[in-house]
Amino acid sequence: MTELSLRLAISVAQIAAVMGVVMLTVMILTLAERKVLGWMQDRMGPMEVGPYGVLQPIADGLKLFFKEDIVPAGANKFMFTLAPILAMVPALIGFAVIPFGPSQPFEFFGITVKPFVISDINIGILYILAFTSIGAYGIILGGWASNSKYSLLGGLRSAAQVISYELNVGLAIVGVLILAGSLSLVKITEAQGGGFWHWYVFALPAPQIFAFVVYVISAVAETNRVPFDLPEAESELVAGFFTEYSGMRFAFFFIAEYANMVLVSCVAAAMFLGGWNAPYPGTILGHMGLEQFAWAENIAWFTVKAYAFLFLFFWLRATLPRLRYDQLMKFGWKVMLPIALGNIVVTSIAAYLFPKG
Amino acid sequence: MKFKEWFKTIIFYEIFVGMKATMSHLLRYKPITLQYPHEKRALPDNYRGMLALLRYDDGTEKCVGCDLCEAACPSRVIRVVSAEVPGEPTKRYSKEYYMDMTRCLFCGMCVDACPVDALGMTQEFEWAVYDKRQLHLNKQQLLAIGDRSFPVREKRLELQHPNVAFFNVSFGHVPQKPS
Repeated sequence: MTELSLRLAISVAQIAAVMGVVMLTVMILTLAERKVLGWMQDRMGPMEVGPYGVLQPIADGLKLFFKEDIVPAGANKFMFTLAPILAMVPALIGFAVIPFGPSQPFEFFGITVKPFVISDINIGILYILAFTSIGAYGIILGGWASNSKYSLLGGLRSAAQVISYELNVGLAIVGVLILAGSLSLVKITEAQGGGFWHWYVFALPAPQIFAFVVYVISAVAETNRVPFDLPEAESELVAGFFTEYSGMRFAFFFIAEYANMVLVSCVAAAMFLGGWNAPYPGTILGHMGLEQFAWAENIAWFTVKAYAFLFLFFWLRATLPRLRYDQLMKFGWKVMLPIALGNIVVTSIAAYLFPKG
Repeated sequence: MKFKEWFKTIIFYEIFVGMKATMSHLLRYKPITLQYPHEKRALPDNYRGMLALLRYDDGTEKCVGCDLCEAACPSRVIRVVSAEVPGEPTKRYSKEYYMDMTRCLFCGMCVDACPVDALGMTQEFEWAVYDKRQLHLNKQQLLAIGDRSFPVREKRLELQHPNVAFFNVSFGHVPQKPS
């Protein structure tokens, strides 16, 4: 009984810590996006709240919290309420299997605890893919329940887009799974240790560089970001599927979008870029004899990789215009899908010819 | 040549060119925007801002109530009620002078039309108000704007040009010719 409650307490503590970090990251991202976008467009971004506008996310959050909560006439109230929750929960729940740092288990009052992953389930990546798919329901339902043509069109576009591009995400990942021989993100990350030439983007016998490109493009499309932000195309559909949403419900969609960005960044870092492994063998702190603090360096590397990926999102947004809808579909099915499939074939053959020793 | 274009397509050459451009702006970050309420840009001298009524250096109004500004105004901002100067039948002045600045498009045609340069355009532009009626200005308000924006005033016309006969500006204080 005490063991169970202790286990529960540790899990809750881990979940709280990860949630806190993710929410903090989302807050940072909302500011960072506006700042980076501003700098790239020769503007300053938000400058008013706090020094250089660093408190802008807090101001935004307060504003959204105190805004009027409007449910449009003729909307399906239940679905309308359900949709933001359905969008946000899957985006946050995926972080349960992400390994943020090295997973040497340690004993804590007789219980083995893996400190930097909430739960190391052996189908981790499948779990993430499944839950990000559920996130699409939130968007589609939100679009349908609003009783507005813009929302409906945004939701329908989103449905088609997410289905098309999740396929590519899944197929791009398969190459890595073949090489790693596991679906657990912890095992995949551990298999990439020992220098950047062991990362699956560059690793012999089958570098997953094409799969990585497919993954990046599909991840941008899956999170509905520019240049694939057709579900919320401002110039065509007022704001897409969350046109009718205001206040905290809108904030939920907003958080879901950014949490999804963080999630795909973490997955990309863990699957292709070596996760928490440093780009050199071992860790500097480990070589200096501070083995017990090596986890800090590993976590720092994971953070750097995830943030580099997030920066790429902003960079793309500052650079590219929106795709036309048929271009989007054509690109997804006629370009991305064959590349991903070809990558699976090549990787399979390479993995068969040069099995791991 | 065909191969080169094909190769450019598959490595996303154009996208990388675009991303290089945005990155160069990020690295050589020099904002072209101003933090407006805190720092303001210098306005050009011929800036057409808020309209104002002017005075001569002795404090008398320039306006002679001729209604030409009202006629020139394309959006009917101005309304002038002209009247005789009491006791001087040849002289007129504007008894009432209204400007509805909600409609003004700051074309400056009233300033061009004025024969005695009684209207001026100031550098003021921060005239956002909560109540639209505050933009309905009367003569006193317009004169006040002129007073604060044009501290340097002209001499009276007849003193500027002593050799020209002005038949309609014979105020009592104008120096009389020795008879």
